[in-house]
Parts: sequence; structure tokens; C-alpha cells
Amino acid sequence: MKSISLYIDNGSWLCRMHPFTKLAYIAAAISVPLLAGRLWLFAVFIALSLAVLASGHLLKRVVPLVAFSFTILITIFLIHGLFNQQNRDILFSIGPLHFYREGLLYALHIGCNVLNMLLSFAILVLSTKPSELVEELEKRGFSRRMGYIIISVFQIVPQMMGTMNTITDAQRSRGMETEGSLATRAKAFLPLISPVVMSSLINTRERAVALEVRGFAAKQKKTYLADRTPRRGDKPITIVLLALIVLAVIWRIVQCL
Amino acid sequence: MPVIAVENLKYRYPHAEALALDGLNFTVEKGEFIGIVGENGAGKSTLSQALIGLVPQFYKGAYGGKVLIDGRPADTTPIAELCCKVGLVFQNPFNQLSGAKDNVYEEVAFGMQNLGVPREEMHRRVENALKMLDIWQFRDRNPFDLSGGQMQRVAIASILVMEPDIMVLDEPTSQLDPQGSEEVFRTVDKLARSGITILMIEQKIEKIAAYCDRILLLHQGHQIAYDTPQKIFSRPDLEELGVRAPAFTRICRALGATLPDGSYPVTVEEAADRLQRTDALPPPAAPVPSRPVLFEIQDLTFSYNPGTQVLHGINLCLDARPTAIIGQNGAGKTTLVKLLKGLLRAEGGSIRFRGEDIAGKTVAALAAQVGYVFQNPDDQIFRYNVLDEVMFGPLNIGMDEAQAKEKSRAALAMTGLADKETSNPYDLELYERKMVAIASVLAMDPDVLILDEPTIAQDVRGRQCIAGIVRTLSEQGKLVLAILHDMDFVAECFDRVIVMAQGQVAADGTPRQVFADAEALQAARLDPPHVTQLCTRLGYEGVFLTVEEFLTACGCKE
Repeated sequence: MKSISLYIDNGSWLCRMHPFTKLAYIAAAISVPLLAGRLWLFAVFIALSLAVLASGHLLKRVVPLVAFSFTILITIFLIHGLFNQQNRDILFSIGPLHFYREGLLYALHIGCNVLNMLLSFAILVLSTKPSELVEELEKRGFSRRMGYIIISVFQIVPQMMGTMNTITDAQRSRGMETEGSLATRAKAFLPLISPVVMSSLINTRERAVALEVRGFAAKQKKTYLADRTPRRGDKPITIVLLALIVLAVIWRIVQCL
Repeated sequence: MPVIAVENLKYRYPHAEALALDGLNFTVEKGEFIGIVGENGAGKSTLSQALIGLVPQFYKGAYGGKVLIDGRPADTTPIAELCCKVGLVFQNPFNQLSGAKDNVYEEVAFGMQNLGVPREEMHRRVENALKMLDIWQFRDRNPFDLSGGQMQRVAIASILVMEPDIMVLDEPTSQLDPQGSEEVFRTVDKLARSGITILMIEQKIEKIAAYCDRILLLHQGHQIAYDTPQKIFSRPDLEELGVRAPAFTRICRALGATLPDGSYPVTVEEAADRLQRTDALPPPAAPVPSRPVLFEIQDLTFSYNPGTQVLHGINLCLDARPTAIIGQNGAGKTTLVKLLKGLLRAEGGSIRFRGEDIAGKTVAALAAQVGYVFQNPDDQIFRYNVLDEVMFGPLNIGMDEAQAKEKSRAALAMTGLADKETSNPYDLELYERKMVAIASVLAMDPDVLILDEPTIAQDVRGRQCIAGIVRTLSEQGKLVLAILHDMDFVAECFDRVIVMAQGQVAADGTPRQVFADAEALQAARLDPPHVTQLCTRLGYEGVFLTVEEFLTACGCKE
């Protein structure tokens, strides 16, 4: 079954880090530059994220994410560089197109922000098993029902895609053409989608029964199979990151006074 | 005090008119192994759900009488508390998976986490259960990727680790190969001996007879009897109740061999004790009429993932004799028939259908000639009445409305659904939906009919119906190719048997030849039919395949 989670356990230190440390990193990486309002801080955190990803052997897997975001970023640069309201000083021109300093600077801010968020989230998403994160959240009092819903999506969606394949096979076996012109495909829509919907509805009901039978609603304090005692590095790193956020807040307040 | 006490239990599902359970009265003592038998619709599954409180707490409906589990009423005690005492293994293992765990190991531990079992203890129990059920090697696999038989073992393990005092199992071996089911029965029996109370619903009547202390016989929601297997299966009215006595009992009844108390033996041991070897011989091999060749398979290889080959160079020639493919779970049976249908593409070698290579044909193009009935009927049903559903295939392959209707009606008559034409398929029971799926392929009038484990979830009547279909199509000169785990059914209905083991053909011949080949059967983890087992024990030479055949040879009619 194909997984829809981007996580792959590559055995690096990053995968073994506690999910909360990575959450703290996301919080710091996003809030500190925004609070401080300095462009170079974005650059620092982007560089840091890239360094972390590189040491966790994840750099290659982040390339498609960045490449995708670049297509959007380029349009932002074009629009703001050419048409931003505050545009006054021409920075450079390509033929009849004039790119302005103010607009490009504004676009740079947005671009850095997006890239920074993307990379810091990539650290979490690429190196953390979704169920691990949710389990840790549940231990800190996050709702078990919500937790189950989040985790089951990662299982049920691929399983439904698998069911879809079986259904396609079953209907093809009954002589239905699924490939070809638009009209053929449109005709095939109902016979393919109805069994998916109906069997999902039936399965949902049965799964609810299965959860009951396996004590999902039990009042006892839940235990967990995986032993995830925080590693040595987790605590100091988290403290440093949170301290950075606090410093940025103080600095901002001082600035305003 | 009994662990389970059921007093005048009555239950009706919401929106239903008839009572699903009507006046049940019985008690079960600690450590007893109880079998629950009855035809489809007798109320077996409903009863199993009443024991854990799902009926009426989850399903609502009208409820009367009492179910006491260790003295606590099952209808008011929250299921979350009852589930520590009673474990329920569902009929469909797929629906028992939590859907929250991506490997077998964690899946099995899911229930224990909810009950707050300490971590060390969880690891110990999971390891024990996985090894006991022979699925330790799959511990890192995604539970949704397992085959039906493997999933069924996971479902049993995941309830077993919660260590309930009572285990209720609803047809837990329906998808397992013969030796796999025997292992499950032995495991469950061991649990019963260790003091866990077992209630098991099962269609494998010979096994139920051999292992159970007592049997509860249900019919249309009524409790017919609650007694020892010997007493139950000696009843003269069993067939009318939709239950068939074990093969051994039928033989002893016909030959008049009784136990001291006047009832008939139910196990192979008991029967062998009471019977003497006679000089009866199995009938001579009938000449095999030559039939036209349909499939020629040469050096066929296939793998789903590079590196792990599923089929290793299969060579077969299939003619129009009814043919059964047997073999253990995961031997490559389904893969082979999917290749024949063109749903998968061969990696090496070739498949020719009527002399033409099928590599260049689409599935839809083959549909008119090769029909394939999928295991799960819910993967294809999409219309709101049975007749439309069945007509979908015939219309697709170019029949006109009138012809499609005629073929569909004939197919429905053959599958015993003639009076359900206007029903909504989703209102039918699973065994009826399975018949709808078979009818919808039959109506396309294919030259080859492939059935994947058609007898699952069918009772005696359903099996007779499928046997009738095999016979009729064979008379029309068509090939019926079926994957089966039910050896008695194979022996009764098929002229040719192909044994598969580890992606290869281990034996191929008439049932008589194949079931005499002990080595091949062992390699494929199969058991011979029950009659054959009895005759081997009695020292007969040659292989008897069915009860009727044996009795005729002994000079008496059943």
C-alpha cells in the first residue's frame, strides 16, 4: 500500500529527535524573524533549516517541495517588482519591463517568509512519523478522538485508493471500458464511484463497532507501546529555541518603547 | 455461577419486522468451548454481538430478556467495560483493523493501549500471540496489505492479547487454508483448556464437532437445541434446519454404527472405532471425455515487487473440465487467475486463450469470454435493484435490452435469487450479495467462469446452489475454474484439481489422484476430504471422495 505520509525512516538523528523539539523549532524559525522584522534573520534560519536537513540526509527530498514553491514565488516577484503601489526607484529593466526596488524588496520579504516556513515544516514532516507526533500530543492531553481521526486519514486514504483499483478491476471484468474518450470515462464514473462511497459508509460503521470492541472508549489511562524517552539533546535545544522567541519578543517591545 | 447466562433473549433490529433472536435460554460455564451452528440468517452473528452488548447498545432496536456476563447485564454495562471481559472476533477481518496503525505489531497492541496495559507486558503478549498464530514474520507489514487469511490471524491475535475471559469468534477460519484452520482450532482449544470460555460460530462442521463441548443450534432466531455434538448431529431433522451433519456422522448413520447411548459418532476417531473395514473399493476411474483446450499457459512468471517472485514458471493446459485450484494462503492462486483474466500482465512466459495470446487484449475485450467473480461483492455493486445490477455486464458486452434481461433472469434463477429481482442489493445479506455478484457474471454468458473462494459465508444451501452452477456450466461445455479451501466441496464437484504451493504447481490430476498424493498435499499444507481421512484410518485402499460414493460402495444408500 502506498503511503501518503512523506515520512521515511532513514535512521538519521533527525528522525530520532522528539517531535516536540521539531515543533519548537518551527515556532522559533517562524516567529523570531517576524518579530525582529530583519531580513537577514530569515536568511539565518533558512540556512539553519537547510543545514539541519542536510545533516539528516533529507536535502534531496526537500528539492521538489522548494521547486514547487518557486513557481509561485516567481510570480510574486514579477507582480510586485512590476506593479507594487509603492514602486518608485527602478532597479533594473529588461526591455520594456521596469523592475522597481520597493516591490522587489516586498516580494523578497514574502519569498523569504514562505521559504522559511516551508523548510522548517519540512524538517518536521519529512522526519516525523505522523502517528508518533499524535501519540505525543495525546500524552499531553490532546483529544484521543481527534488523534484517531488524524491518524486514520493516513491509513484510510491509501486503503480507499486500493479499493478504487479493485473496483476498477471488477467493473472492467464486467466489460466496462474505463479508458478512451471523455464520454467513455464519464459513463464509467458512476459504476466506479458508487461502490467506493457505499463500501466506505459500511466500513465506517463496522470500524466504529471494531473500535468499541477494542476498548477505544475505555476510561482507563492509556498506555503506549513505543518508548520515547527524550534524548539528551532534546531538552537543551528546546530551551534555546524558546529562549530565542522570548528574546525576540523582548527586543520587539524595547523597540516600540 | 455460569460465566454467561442468557435468559429468554429476544431482539429485533430497528426497521425490521421479524425477530432476529427469539427466546434464547442457555448458560455457559467457565472454560467451556461452545459451537454455534445454524443456516444463514439463523441469528448467529446477532447473538455474538448481543454477548458483548453491541446489541442493543450500538444497534438499538427492541430488546427483551437478559444476557448476564459474570452476573452483569450486557445490555446496560458500557461496551468499554465489557470488552475487558468479552472479546469478539468479527466475520470480516478487514473491518476489525483499527485503521490507525501502519504495522501488524502495533495493530495487535492497539486494544491493550486503550486498556492501559503496561508497556513491557504489551510487548510480551504481542510477541506470544503473533508467534502462536504464525504471523510473527509479518509483524512489520502494513495490516491492509495482508491477504485475507493473514488478516484473519491478525484479527484473532488482536483480541487474544486483550486477554478476555470469554472469546466469541464469528467464523474465524473462513479464509484460512485447511491446515491453517486446524491450527486456529488447536490454539483456541488450548485457550479453552487454560480457562478461557470460547463461543465459536463456524460452518466447518467436522471441526466444530471435534472440538466443541456443546453446540447451540439456531434456526430463524429460535434456539432449537443446546447439547453435545453427538446429540445435536444425531438429530433426524438437521437437513431441514439447513445444517449438515459431519461426514463421519452421515456414514455411521447410514451404516447403523451407534455410540453406547444411541447417538452417532461425530469425529473421525469415534467413527473409526465403530466401523469395520469392508472390502468395498472406490469406483473405477471414469474415462475422461476429451474437452476443447481453452487456456495454454507456458513458463508463466510474475512478481508484484521486483525480487520477490510470486509465480515461478507455471505450465498448464486448461480444458473445459470443472477445475479447482487449491493450496495454502499466499501460494499464488489469486495471482494466477488474475493473469488469466488479464487483470495482471505476465512478466515472463505466455498465456494463450483459444490459441490467441492475451497479452494484446484489454480486460473489457476479454470480458465476454472470461468471467471473473471477485471475492468481495461490495467492490462492484452500484445499482439500486438486483436486476439492473446483473444486467450491467450483459449490456456492456453488447447484448440488447431484451436479451440482457433474459440472461439476467436466468442467472438469478440459477443463483436462487429469482424473487429478489427488485430488491436493493444493499438490503441483502452478505451471502445473497455474493450470489448477486456471481449472477452478474453468469448473465454475461462467458465461456470461462472464474470463482475466487465462492463458498465463503455460504451455508449448506448456498454450497448446493454453487455446486449446481458448476454442474450446469460444465454440461454446457464451459470451464469453471474455482479457488477453494473446502476440500469436501472440491471432491464433490470438480473433475480436475490443481495443487499450488509456493508459486508452483505441486500436483495436477483428478481429485482421486491428487488426494492420494500425500506428499503434494503436505507441501501445500492441505488435508484430504473427510471421507478420505476416515477411509485411510480404516485401512481402505484407494481414495473415496464423497460420503455418497463410500456408501454406494458399501452397498447402502444414505
